[in-house]
Amino acid sequence: MSESSIITNLIGILTTASTLFMVAAGLTLVFGALRLINIAHGSFYMYGAYLATTLAARLGGAGFWVSLVICPLVVAAMGVLVEVLVLRRLYRREHLTQLLATFALLLIFADIALRLWGKSVRSIKAPSALNGHFQFGGAAVPVYDLFVIGVAALVAIGLWALMSRSKLGWRVRAVVDDPEVLAASGTNVPLILTGVFALGAMLAGLSGVVIAPEQAVQPGMDAEIIVAAFIVAVIGGLGSIVGAAIGSLIIGVVETLGAVWTPSWASTFIYALMILVLAIRPWGLFGETER
Amino acid sequence: MMHKNIAIAVAATLLLGPLAACSSSGSSGDGNGSGGGSGRGGSVTIGESTSLSGSIANLGQTGLQGLQLAAADMNASGGLLGKKIKVVSADDNAQPATGASEARSMITKNHAVALFGPVSSAVAAAQEQVAAQYKVPIFFHTSNDVGLMTKTFTPYAFQDVPNTMMEPRAVADYLAKKVGNKQITIATFAPDYSFGHDTVDGFLQALKTLHVNYKLVKQEFPPLGASNISSYLSALVSAHPQYVFNAQYGGDLVAFTKQAAQFGFFKDTTVIAMYAYAPLAALGSSAPAGAIGFDRAPFWEIKTPEMTKFVSEFKAKYGKYPTEWAILAYSAAQEWAYAVKKAGSFDSAKVIKELPGASVPTIIGSMTVRACDHQSEVPEYVGTISGTADPKFGIHLYNDGFTAPFKDISLTCSEVKALQK
Repeated sequence: MSESSIITNLIGILTTASTLFMVAAGLTLVFGALRLINIAHGSFYMYGAYLATTLAARLGGAGFWVSLVICPLVVAAMGVLVEVLVLRRLYRREHLTQLLATFALLLIFADIALRLWGKSVRSIKAPSALNGHFQFGGAAVPVYDLFVIGVAALVAIGLWALMSRSKLGWRVRAVVDDPEVLAASGTNVPLILTGVFALGAMLAGLSGVVIAPEQAVQPGMDAEIIVAAFIVAVIGGLGSIVGAAIGSLIIGVVETLGAVWTPSWASTFIYALMILVLAIRPWGLFGETER
Repeated sequence: MMHKNIAIAVAATLLLGPLAACSSSGSSGDGNGSGGGSGRGGSVTIGESTSLSGSIANLGQTGLQGLQLAAADMNASGGLLGKKIKVVSADDNAQPATGASEARSMITKNHAVALFGPVSSAVAAAQEQVAAQYKVPIFFHTSNDVGLMTKTFTPYAFQDVPNTMMEPRAVADYLAKKVGNKQITIATFAPDYSFGHDTVDGFLQALKTLHVNYKLVKQEFPPLGASNISSYLSALVSAHPQYVFNAQYGGDLVAFTKQAAQFGFFKDTTVIAMYAYAPLAALGSSAPAGAIGFDRAPFWEIKTPEMTKFVSEFKAKYGKYPTEWAILAYSAAQEWAYAVKKAGSFDSAKVIKELPGASVPTIIGSMTVRACDHQSEVPEYVGTISGTADPKFGIHLYNDGFTAPFKDISLTCSEVKALQK
């Protein structure tokens, strides 16, 4: 492989991994605190992207930057409503009930999206500051890909700081381990759960906005991303942010090198990898067995 | 519960997804159409079960709009044989089993006298057999697998679009003229299912037939509807092909174009893809000037008064210009109506006899139905995408539009006959 190919493929790996990580991180964060697999996480991602197309159409050039701030907050508010109105009643139920409930939410949100935005493909332009590419080592490096990688890195650092360096992170971990003691010590447990769920939704909404200039915004993107993000979370270990990061990188490497060397098998490798991990280490590379 | 069990439950839920989703659709419209067509007054029903959700929903929906507009136009001029036409529709979720059972229910419950085809060729193959079983004609205006009119051909099936042999052949003709004897490097990029593989194979086969001196440097098959193609794209970019034949369409093609543009890919590489109205409209000013587009029925290239009238009518009703899916659904409905009028009856056995060899007036011009395989003798359109937006339609259209005539790009009847056995 020539130097320029190595750089191009490295960018491919990191961009793939970053896109997956932003969505998988929210999914795994919510699982870590709430012990709930939220299939509707894909809806939050799709709504982030759709809202961005609406704002960009209204506001023109500055629309992307406004969307980057506003849309994740709107989606977080959706998350609060979903948590308070629906999921709160399901925490003591078994996983399958929760799964079916969040799957039903995905279908409902998809129907509402069809009514609000229709079935045609929508698209927004990357802001001019992030458009184009520069030459590096003989390869063309897209500026927007670097932006995606940068946002994913910020999300990773932010989540790490929040979970391991703040009191809130400590409480979130305590919610999982011993909710009764935490409640007795005066912590508002339901509020923490709502907050974590809203944060997860916000991350999904943010990823939706970030991918919108590079991808087609259309029906079906909700179900498509949730499968990919779920595979990442399973490989990395459900509940582990570090696992989501490593899982995304593994998928990025496998898919990119697969596409270079054995193109017709590239997408198969990912499923084979998931099956392998499930067989050898069912709780994932960085997960813990559930008590 | 171990995480493994959760994983299995999620996998099960995701697999159940399509099934659960289809229970919400079902066919719409009531079932009091009369099948026989005896007497005047009353109504007859025609049906279309197609993809109305997921990433190919736009193809299914605009196709259905074309069919509905055709029915509305016929009803406005007194109906067909004095009867009003009703359209029933359903969402097949791109699942052959769902599409087949909906087609069956349209025939048995709604008494549909004709069916119009789905988006997916796999669904089309299933519906083709259902239609033959119940002896009801079916018109394919979106799915274009050549196998529908060869391997699984039935006398009740009609094909109204350039098939998977014709479409890539037309593009190869255009490219061969452009490059002459020069040696070129080519890469292919196509969705990873039968349509993508067939179209790519058809294209490479056509290049060989035309003696184009090419070297294949890369072949990528990303999944259909994949949200993230960075990996596949970086493999393509690092192969530095001069030409890329891309068989993606709709949203996948929009995503490809936007991401490839970020690499400056269109500067040194000529991409050849299904840049039809919908992706060009979605791309707007990001349309790749200089890339080669192909389209089964671009309204701006078909300069007949009937097309002009249809376009303004469609725009007034749906607020958008028609896609090729809408145009070809409309002309398929005209084909069926022509046969009904000639036969003076809705009776299937009489209707299907009228079409082979007939020349049907439609919005895309006079369309002859070839007797040996019921393939309509339609052309394919190819052109180079303009660097400036069209002042009237506001999107980038083709510069040197080229119409590949049917006789140049189709299989011959003797080739078809060999495949039909």
